[in-house]
Amino acid sequence: MAGRLASQLSAVRAVDPSRYVVYVGFVLILVGFSIALKDDGFLTVRNLLNIVQQTTPITVMAIGMVFVLTAGEIDLSIGSIVAISALLAAMVLRQYGWPLGAAAGLAAGVAIGAINGGLVAYLRLPSFLVTLATMGLLAGVARWLTDLQSVPITNDLFNALFGAGKLFGVPSLVLWTLATVALGHFVFQETRYGAHVHAIGDSAPSARAVGIKVDRVRFSVMALSGLCAGLAGILYAGRLHGARYTLGETDLLTVIAAVIVGGTRLNGGIGSVMGALIGSLLMGLLNNGLILMGLSVSEQLMVRGLIILAAITLTLRETAR
Amino acid sequence: MTSPATARVVASIALLTAILLPAMPSHAGTTTGPHGEQAVPAASLTLTPEEEAQIRAGKHTAALAWHTPSDYTAAVDRGAHDEFARLGIEVVAVTDAGFDAAKQKSDVETIMAKRPSILLSLPVDPDTAPEVYKPALEAGTKVAFVDNAPTGFVQGTDYVTIVSDDLFQMGEKAADAMANAIGGKGEIGYLFHDANFYVTNQRDGAFKATIEAKYPDIKIVAEQGLADPAHAEEIIHAFMTKHPDLAAVYVTWAEPAEFVLAALRNGGNSETKIVTLDLSEPLALDMVQGGNVAAIVADEAYAIGATLARAAAASLLDKTLEPFYAVNALAVTKDTIKEGWFQSLHRDPPATLTGG
Repeated sequence: MAGRLASQLSAVRAVDPSRYVVYVGFVLILVGFSIALKDDGFLTVRNLLNIVQQTTPITVMAIGMVFVLTAGEIDLSIGSIVAISALLAAMVLRQYGWPLGAAAGLAAGVAIGAINGGLVAYLRLPSFLVTLATMGLLAGVARWLTDLQSVPITNDLFNALFGAGKLFGVPSLVLWTLATVALGHFVFQETRYGAHVHAIGDSAPSARAVGIKVDRVRFSVMALSGLCAGLAGILYAGRLHGARYTLGETDLLTVIAAVIVGGTRLNGGIGSVMGALIGSLLMGLLNNGLILMGLSVSEQLMVRGLIILAAITLTLRETAR
Repeated sequence: MTSPATARVVASIALLTAILLPAMPSHAGTTTGPHGEQAVPAASLTLTPEEEAQIRAGKHTAALAWHTPSDYTAAVDRGAHDEFARLGIEVVAVTDAGFDAAKQKSDVETIMAKRPSILLSLPVDPDTAPEVYKPALEAGTKVAFVDNAPTGFVQGTDYVTIVSDDLFQMGEKAADAMANAIGGKGEIGYLFHDANFYVTNQRDGAFKATIEAKYPDIKIVAEQGLADPAHAEEIIHAFMTKHPDLAAVYVTWAEPAEFVLAALRNGGNSETKIVTLDLSEPLALDMVQGGNVAAIVADEAYAIGATLARAAAASLLDKTLEPFYAVNALAVTKDTIKEGWFQSLHRDPPATLTGG
């Protein structure tokens, strides 16, 4: 039964036009910047790789958010999880080495996500309010953990693995993007679990009626989002060779914008991991191109806001059809 | 690798130094840089016409990677832009990190696609900043900083110089302005910033040290630290309850001073004078209308940007530079509002203040 549901859903998604809007928009903006900035180093391999690397933490969080939003929930606490996971990884790493440091960061993410999930799925509290509360709570914890002090990371292997390292000439952050998107896309589109996430976002009562364990799926998407935010925290720590309580603070809205531009519906049922990747790259592309155009900061903010608004309008019009 | 214990000891020593240095008698008081560098007046950094011509001929470019938007950043930015324009250096990119260290890293990476000869910046977080500026160092870009440098960076090899406020002078000028406002004698209140922040710590300490050393007839009778500006109102109520004849009160910076002004006004008190630091339009308006505010001490933010740009340009000629330059502070009063505003921010005061 669930298998049939999955195949039906993927048939519906295969013709979903909202997923093409973002790709077209992305290509248009890419071409636009390439022409406008042809002498400004925009179209160099280094600069384009920079964009992918700069957006890796956003992409990773966006994957989690696609699952959460598609299931009809939301997670506002991801930014605060990033800071806690990065700080914990940096602190544990000093005493016990990098594998345990990384594990501690990820575990913190999953644990916080599971707490969010428990409150949402089993106490039946709205995820918006639960994660609004944990967002503030965790921001306080992140400040308290090291008394506002930054924690440097001097472990070269950790910094290479999660930051500036390379494997066969490919930057590790690019590999993280590829690996997490591939895995996320596969689970979301090709597995029974992915179909369940879609189903409960479409209609929880119907999903329950066909035997899907709605509470368990809700719990799991929140935990998954925590895991993704935890990984994002570790990637930030590797990139900066250190952790700080403000990491991730401003990422929530960027992640939501990336996911929505990428064709995921804010109120559940429809989502796209590939779209989220493109949405995230689009955010990075805009930051990069507008800076290279030599615009003042105020101009950058205005132009970026207008382009995101246009992208969301197009995507939502398509999604609503 | 530094252990947390060592780091804590180092931090404590740094904190103690920051607190104790300004606490010394005023004649011995000086502003020091984040690593204890002696401050050299920013005005001492000059270029000869030949050097300027040489810089102009180089067709250099510059980028600015700021930390967060504010009046202050805008003035620093204007100073840098104007000085670069004067020296024929094109500004090719400007970014703002919104106090996010990761965003600042992305900003610098993006900027480097344009390969600027110069990068001016204020590091959001000195501890993680070495990674932020690494691409610029690798590309041989000359990097100069406002206020602070990345941990472990060496002046002269990794960065050009640091330019900052003369924090001690700001506190000292606040003390002089207050003495002037109350005729050199009376009881005053002292509302300082209760946090480990080297900018406010130095300014507050300098105010207190100057009052104690230079004005024996002025007594600090009420003293209270503040962490949240909104609590300033409660603190001033407590001050006034205990000391109804308080001649004046020092407030650590403009935002809490606005709360203090509101509290005094609501209490019908037009006698107690306020002296504070950093320009603010509501406070300046009260000052020009002859209210409680007697003086506002400001820094030459515009000059910070101009000096930084000049220093970075000078470094292109391999000119030897001091590690830490400080700009002047000025006390702005009712009579000097127009000149003072311009000297600090390099723009005219809002029309409300000049009756325009």
